[in-house]
Amino acid sequence: MAVARPALLEGTRPPGVFTRHDHHGDTVVDADVVVIGSGAGGSTVAAELAEAGFDVIVVEEGSYYQTRDFTADTSAMVRQLYRDGGATMAIGNPPVMYQEGRAVGGSTVINGGMSWRTPDKILARWEREAGLAGIAKDLEPHFARVEKRIHVAGMDAEAIGKDNHLLKRGADAKGWQIIGNLRNQAHCAGSNRCAFGCPTGAKQSSLVSYVPRALHYGARIYADVRVDKITRHGKRATGVIGTVRGTPHRLAVRAKLVVSACGAIHTPALLHRSGFRTPSGQLGHNLSMHPNVKVVAIFDEQVTGWRGAHQAFQVREFQDQGLVFAAVNLPPSVLAMSFPHRGAALGQLMDQYDRMVVAGMLCEDTATGRVRTIDGKPQAFYQLAEADAANLQRGVGLLSDLLFAAGAKRILLPFQGAPDLLSADDARRLMDRKIPAKGWEVVTVHMMGTARMGTDRARHVTDAFGAVHDTDRLMVADASLFPTPIGVNPMETIMALATRAAGHVIDNARRYLS
Amino acid sequence: MSGYRHSATGRRVLESLVTVVCPPEAHGLASAIVDHMELTLAASPPMLGRAFATGLVAYDLGALPLHGRRAHKLSAERRERYFASWEHGPTPLHTQFSHAINQLMSLSCYEMPAMTERLGYHPAPWIDEVTRRRLTVYRDDVRRQEAQILAPDPLRPGVYVGKRRREVG
Ligand SMILES: Cc1cc2nc3c(=O)[nH]c(=O)nc-3n(C[C@H](O)[C@H](O)[C@H](O)COP(=O)(O)OP(=O)(O)OC[C@H]3O[C@@H](n4cnc5c(N)ncnc54)[C@H](O)[C@@H]3O)c2cc1C
Ligand code: SF4
Repeated sequence: MAVARPALLEGTRPPGVFTRHDHHGDTVVDADVVVIGSGAGGSTVAAELAEAGFDVIVVEEGSYYQTRDFTADTSAMVRQLYRDGGATMAIGNPPVMYQEGRAVGGSTVINGGMSWRTPDKILARWEREAGLAGIAKDLEPHFARVEKRIHVAGMDAEAIGKDNHLLKRGADAKGWQIIGNLRNQAHCAGSNRCAFGCPTGAKQSSLVSYVPRALHYGARIYADVRVDKITRHGKRATGVIGTVRGTPHRLAVRAKLVVSACGAIHTPALLHRSGFRTPSGQLGHNLSMHPNVKVVAIFDEQVTGWRGAHQAFQVREFQDQGLVFAAVNLPPSVLAMSFPHRGAALGQLMDQYDRMVVAGMLCEDTATGRVRTIDGKPQAFYQLAEADAANLQRGVGLLSDLLFAAGAKRILLPFQGAPDLLSADDARRLMDRKIPAKGWEVVTVHMMGTARMGTDRARHVTDAFGAVHDTDRLMVADASLFPTPIGVNPMETIMALATRAAGHVIDNARRYLS
Repeated sequence: MSGYRHSATGRRVLESLVTVVCPPEAHGLASAIVDHMELTLAASPPMLGRAFATGLVAYDLGALPLHGRRAHKLSAERRERYFASWEHGPTPLHTQFSHAINQLMSLSCYEMPAMTERLGYHPAPWIDEVTRRRLTVYRDDVRRQEAQILAPDPLRPGVYVGKRRREVG
């Protein structure tokens, strides 16, 4: 039998953080506001409301880790920080593997730190389609506030690694627009470990920004507690009941306002299993995923892509067509797992690890899927649209063309059974033929839209601030709110919307506190 | 956590597959690789662990009608042929299961220090080096950011609801 190594040690906890070790029986606590989930949305709401004087409790299913707990042991980090060890999948053909964080700080602990405002064209679309009049102007100061808090900045030149320089070399050779990535980091040191918990503390994830701020202003965080349901009195939310993981103990929080910030997969399931029904019937629908595929390019020269910042650049040439490219180094184990090769062939391929550039793309999707609640648990369903598959295939061709322009000698494709590309001509030919999507390896880390906001209670799940239509004292403050996919990395949008929601609660404090 | 544990048969099947899936340099690491797979599966959804365990039994017994022996007892050459027959059908379930084995075992294989050493992949000293550099070169900026995280900056200046639960600095 294998014995789990305690790779993540629980260090001294700051006051206000409670873990499973603090529970010796069932507990009932009171607060003004209970926030479920401590990720991008939840931690932001919690910090803003705590500073305004609300008594805030955050309940988080994941555990509390600190920067010193983040080691170079990739698998241990995945087991601890990712929900279900990262093995989560939306059913479809092809299936879409997706990943979510489960820890204090949510997915921001394992994300890449790309920090972008919602594009203007998307906000204009939200105005048109969701009735969110004035949202662009409204969000402006909130973006600025978030950017200050999580220190959104360009990269220090010395932290940029060779894989990213090669991406830039290729884009420059093609004459394509490539920009330095804005990331929430304070002097990112270039360890390329963002997806496994930043071990230097440079990434300003919620864990080291909004969470300590919330605690500083008096919020309490109950880690290791999975909220089973939101309690209610008729249509009015009255608190939450949860189970302390690994124990038989329960935690009940009685609160005047309940904010669900469990992410776009878990918020609809929680609301469903708590018995909330919305007039639109849209809860759980409208799931967007920004499907993502990657290519692996092999160069003659040494790349050593694991030294240097994660995704220092983004190729924006095709953003209008819904495609954004970036270089994303993966540790050997994760990369080996993605190859169909085995035996000696796998060894020969992996021996070239230090000469590989892994590059991927984000696709603004047109399909929408759904989160169904089965036995109280969420199951995502998502069918990649033909148009999105065609766009992704075109993206693979374009990205390969760029990588050949940078000097790549061979490119491995994300399509089962497809031969490797050996030249830019091969890459261009790839764009001319149709590859059936069912054998593709599609992944995503951006799930959005399952409790979409908007002014029409017949079409939207929440109002313009996240208050769930036809309920009382129940808000959503996470990626579920997006009326449409946004075509760029979503964290900053989630935080700006959460800040705006907190402002709304403060402005209407009497209503929420009475 | 699913609490997944390999059964004795499951372990024997997986150990026999290390020579099929992993590169020759890893063949001496079979036991550690299979241990690591157990940890990975234990962190996965329970349903996945159950399906995997059932698949291993089916894989082991499935060799009987074809080769007259259970899979974990096959010779190296037959082991290879039998695994390849699962990779190429006869049903999508066979293919999916062989892919799952390939994925999980490749992941565990390249988590072995001896294997990452071969690739020159040494993240731990690199992390130490860049962490030190950051805290030396940018010490003041880092401190400024830490202070900013806690500094008062109310969203609605002048508006303060409720009574502070406890004193804040
Ligand atoms: C690997 C990875 C890389 C990414 N890279 C980027 C990037 O570079 N830039 C970017 O903008 N975005 C990125 N993202 C996406 C971004 O991090 C997420 O979109 C964002 O964090 C979602 O915020 P959220 O508040 O909706 O949910 P999350 O941040 O996921 O937080 C939800 C929290 O709720 C908790 N929870 C769920 N259910 C319950 C329950 N029942 N009880 C208690 N707690 C519960 C979860 O454990 C989790 O901690 C990435 C994501 C991943 C996974
Ligand atoms: S690349 Fe930068 S932000 Fe990412 S983990 Fe390393 S130091 Fe942290």
